[in-house]
Amino acid sequence: MAAVTIRVSRFDPASGEPARLVPYTVEVREGARVLHALHAVHEQDPTLAYRYCCGSGQCGSCAVRVNGRPGLACMLPVADGDVVEPLDLPVVRDLVVDLVPRLARIAAFLPGGEQDLPDRETVEALKDLCHCIECGSCISVCPAVTVTDFAGPTAMRQLERLRLDPRDTGDRTLLATEEGLFCCTSCQACAEVCPKEIRIPGKAIERLRAEANRRGMTLPRHAEVAALVRKTGRSVDRTITPLFERVESVLEPYGPVRGEVAFFIGCIYSMRLPETALDAIEVLRRNGIRVIVPKEQVCCGSPLIRTGQLADLARLQATNRAALAPYPIVMTMCAGCGSTLKHDYGNLPFRVMDFNEVLAEFGIEPPARLPLTVTYHDPCHLLRGQGISEQPRALIREVADLVEMEARCCGSGGGVKAGNPAEAEALGERRREAIAATGAEQVITSCPFCEFHIRAHTDRPVRHVASLLLEGYKKKDAEAASAPDQPSG
Amino acid sequence: MVENGATAAHVLVIGSGGAGVRAAIEAAEHGSVVLLSKTIAGKGGCTPMAEGGYNAVLREGDDPALHAADTLKGGAYLNDPALVDALVTEAPDRMRELLAWGAVFDVGSEEGVAQRPFGGQQRPRTCYAGDRTGHEMMVTLMDRLAATDVEVVHECAAVELLLEAGRCKGAAALDSEGRLGVYLADGVVLATGGGTRVYDISTNSSSGTGDGYALGYRAGAEVIDMEMVQFHPTGAIQPYDARGRLVTEAVRGEGGRLLNRLGERFMSRYDPERMELSTRDVVARAIATEVLEGRGTERGGVWLDVTHLSPGEIERRLPIMLEQFLAFGVDIRTEPMEVAPTAHHIMGGLRITPDCATTLPGLYAAGECSGGVHGANRLGGNALAETQVFGRRAGRSAGLEPERPKGVTPAIERQLGALRLRFDDYLDGEVPPPSVVRRLRQTMWQGAGIFRDEAGLAGALAGVELLKNQRLFAATERNLLECCTAANQCLLASLICRAALLRPECRGAHMRRDADCSTPPNASRYGHTFLSLTREGIEEVA
Ligand SMILES: Cc1cc2nc3c(=O)[nH]c(=O)nc-3n(C[C@H](O)[C@H](O)[C@H](O)COP(=O)(O)OP(=O)(O)OC[C@H]3O[C@@H](n4cnc5c(N)ncnc54)[C@H](O)[C@@H]3O)c2cc1C
Ligand code: SF4
Ligand code: SF4
Ligand code: FES
Repeated sequence: MAAVTIRVSRFDPASGEPARLVPYTVEVREGARVLHALHAVHEQDPTLAYRYCCGSGQCGSCAVRVNGRPGLACMLPVADGDVVEPLDLPVVRDLVVDLVPRLARIAAFLPGGEQDLPDRETVEALKDLCHCIECGSCISVCPAVTVTDFAGPTAMRQLERLRLDPRDTGDRTLLATEEGLFCCTSCQACAEVCPKEIRIPGKAIERLRAEANRRGMTLPRHAEVAALVRKTGRSVDRTITPLFERVESVLEPYGPVRGEVAFFIGCIYSMRLPETALDAIEVLRRNGIRVIVPKEQVCCGSPLIRTGQLADLARLQATNRAALAPYPIVMTMCAGCGSTLKHDYGNLPFRVMDFNEVLAEFGIEPPARLPLTVTYHDPCHLLRGQGISEQPRALIREVADLVEMEARCCGSGGGVKAGNPAEAEALGERRREAIAATGAEQVITSCPFCEFHIRAHTDRPVRHVASLLLEGYKKKDAEAASAPDQPSG
Repeated sequence: MVENGATAAHVLVIGSGGAGVRAAIEAAEHGSVVLLSKTIAGKGGCTPMAEGGYNAVLREGDDPALHAADTLKGGAYLNDPALVDALVTEAPDRMRELLAWGAVFDVGSEEGVAQRPFGGQQRPRTCYAGDRTGHEMMVTLMDRLAATDVEVVHECAAVELLLEAGRCKGAAALDSEGRLGVYLADGVVLATGGGTRVYDISTNSSSGTGDGYALGYRAGAEVIDMEMVQFHPTGAIQPYDARGRLVTEAVRGEGGRLLNRLGERFMSRYDPERMELSTRDVVARAIATEVLEGRGTERGGVWLDVTHLSPGEIERRLPIMLEQFLAFGVDIRTEPMEVAPTAHHIMGGLRITPDCATTLPGLYAAGECSGGVHGANRLGGNALAETQVFGRRAGRSAGLEPERPKGVTPAIERQLGALRLRFDDYLDGEVPPPSVVRRLRQTMWQGAGIFRDEAGLAGALAGVELLKNQRLFAATERNLLECCTAANQCLLASLICRAALLRPECRGAHMRRDADCSTPPNASRYGHTFLSLTREGIEEVA
């Protein structure tokens, strides 16, 4: 037995007081789970309300947030200092949330189609979507649910499961569009927390969107983007000469060559935020990294995949694969491009690395520190799409003081900014509040969509990690220039 | 008096596992239905936890008569043949129905649902959805339920059945805020599941507290064969707080070996022919014997080893076990699992007719809270089938009850008044329920576990009676339900001990060390044990 102190969120609706964290010290045995600690707390204080049932990860009753992250209390090991809170859903009392109305949005099977079990292949595809234990975790982290009437991730999972089943008679694709199919920002938060590891965005939402596309139900604004990509190979209008056409093919570093990357710039950095991309190139060159710019690169296809418009995808992929094949390392800077190259291209003959990964791996010359407090906005496609979280933070800390802010989708992904602007605005405004609450002077991020979108939703400067680093280098250079010459000898 | 109001419906179903939901779906064909569930409906009970499968005769070469013969043999011929007949005849239809309602079961190389061999069965007849069969059934049933007008009352537990002139008229229930509600109906279906949570080590969910046995018994219905508790041979030992967690029979099916502390493959001493694939009762007793005789592991178990299989095989065939044990820090590809028997299933329960009528008019029972289907030992895969076959039958029977006036009559008022007094006692009590339950579980494990004798059982019963008389304490109204549940567990425990004392023989899961174990079960002179408020005994065959 060992004593652990955990803090548990207590909330009594009758008290009129907000929830508060109460510390409890309990004895637990080796291997105890959060649930067992809660049992012990309940023995100390029988007023604690919490749910559980199977105790073995099979019923989905016990989902709570442990240290901010949703999970099953019966499966997560408990540790001293854990903070246990209810899921981010309307709280009934203590750790109990109002789950039933959310679960009620999960569509029911409508019999009447074929009677017999489908063939083996269909059954295997269905099984992949059947593991949901309706724990509510995914719903509780879904940004779209908070600002729209979106039925939620697992409701979409169920619609895809029903769509694939020849025994079901509902029009699931149509229902999905009515239930908010196009509200999903593809932030991957749901996939990250699902205890059954169901990857709803890729396995359900994108597939439903693809089916909607086949049936002519794609949103007009999404269809416009697809038409543009088809015509120009780019997902945004050519209002300026794309950066990759303007710069040299090979940009040598300023000092000795320590490494080499082929830079997949992406549509937005090439044509909407070229200054940011140029900052990144400067930082790389300063750090001994040769930057090669393949001229044949086209849109990575992400805007098409996320919105289910797959007709032209193979062509884009082939073009990019050919353009990038000669290089051992392809660097992306756009979180969306990076995630797409890493996950939607199958096996590639080269390694795809994000800008932050490249710098972390090769190491950087220390910049000067700026008297600046910044916060960092995690781009969804970097944090969850590529698992990159520590690298940009370490880079930022080289230059400025970093105050943390909860990672939440800004609303610009998944075609939502174009297709559902009101939702994107509402999510952007949430970021405004979160940013203001940190007290930071600037917001640093690492994705062009976030950079662009958050700029419209905060009064602070929003900049890429590269731009911040470059400012640090500039300051360093200025300091060196103004410093008195060191006596030599 | 009744601050949560009185609700009337044609049929009241208590419990939202496989049996309860199936009953509600059926009853909805006959009139209004209210479904009471202690948990969020569909999440409670053991149905969503069932891994292995559902037995049904679906293919040429198999026959309901063979299924019946297997079930009777497995049940040591204590089963009620009419119930077995209903089970084997209707299990296939109920399976097909689940498929038509969208259930996703595995398909094999042949056409149709795949079926695997399970212990004690002459044909492969266990249908499965990976190792989450019960979950798939539950999802399917909840979908179907959503298409009916059944009113589902989540997180509201029946605490007492209400009677009027010798008829069950409904139930009193507590919601999660501790408010008392009254539910009145023409027919009431009890489908509250099992109760092996009265043992220290158990596979059951938190609702395996035997409420149904207790409610039925207190209302005057008769229970049979309560001594018949199945101990699954392989429950996980670690971590301690999750002890008893089921380690599926499939592990042995795939070639898992049982080894004692000395590394001996000890099943050769108990069943050299079938070895690890012997029946559950034999394997459970073998493991218990090894431990009792000092050949167990330090933590009181034995090793279940699959490391002779290739890692790939383990990953393919036992993915969930691999995942579960990895979550608890054991890699079964390289280390053995530590296992010991765990209380799994209660074969006994409310005495029912094939139409699920209990001995109390107006009250029907289905699923694990009923008795007689499995006799003295349940075959793997028969319980899920039971929930569907008898759930439907119970729902239909309750639905066919004629309409009667439903009101809070003086007789019901009196019962509610008594309940209020009990609640006041709890609010005023002394002993927190968890401490009573903890002692109860240990008492039962020691005195009414795998091996039994008269002295041990009598001692356990005395211990249980002491605990029953503790003045349970509810800190707030929201804790009243915990007290009711603890009281139900104490009552269930006493029923198990009393029944076990009534049966002076070894039969199936009931192993009396002080009794004759040589008579073959089909030659036994004993029938069901029975207990009710007015009589108790054991049936003897003339
Ligand atoms: C881990 C495990 C694995 C198993 N695997 C298999 C298998 O593979 N094959 C097989 O055939 N059998 C298996 N069984 C047995 C089988 O799962 C159960 O016997 C069966 O599911 C019981 O169904 P039920 O509907 O009677 O009760 P349950 O499914 O237990 O449901 C009982 C319901 O009643 C509710 N309830 C309880 N008390 C009250 C109350 N007072 N008021 C209101 N509601 C109440 C509960 O919340 C729950 O919803 C397994 C059992 C366990 C524990
Ligand atoms: S990807 Fe994000 S927005 Fe889309 S369903 Fe999942 S959590 Fe919601
Ligand atoms: S999809 Fe995963 S996270 Fe969402 S409810 Fe189901 S099990 Fe929970
Ligand atoms: S208690 Fe069932 S999933 Fe945790």
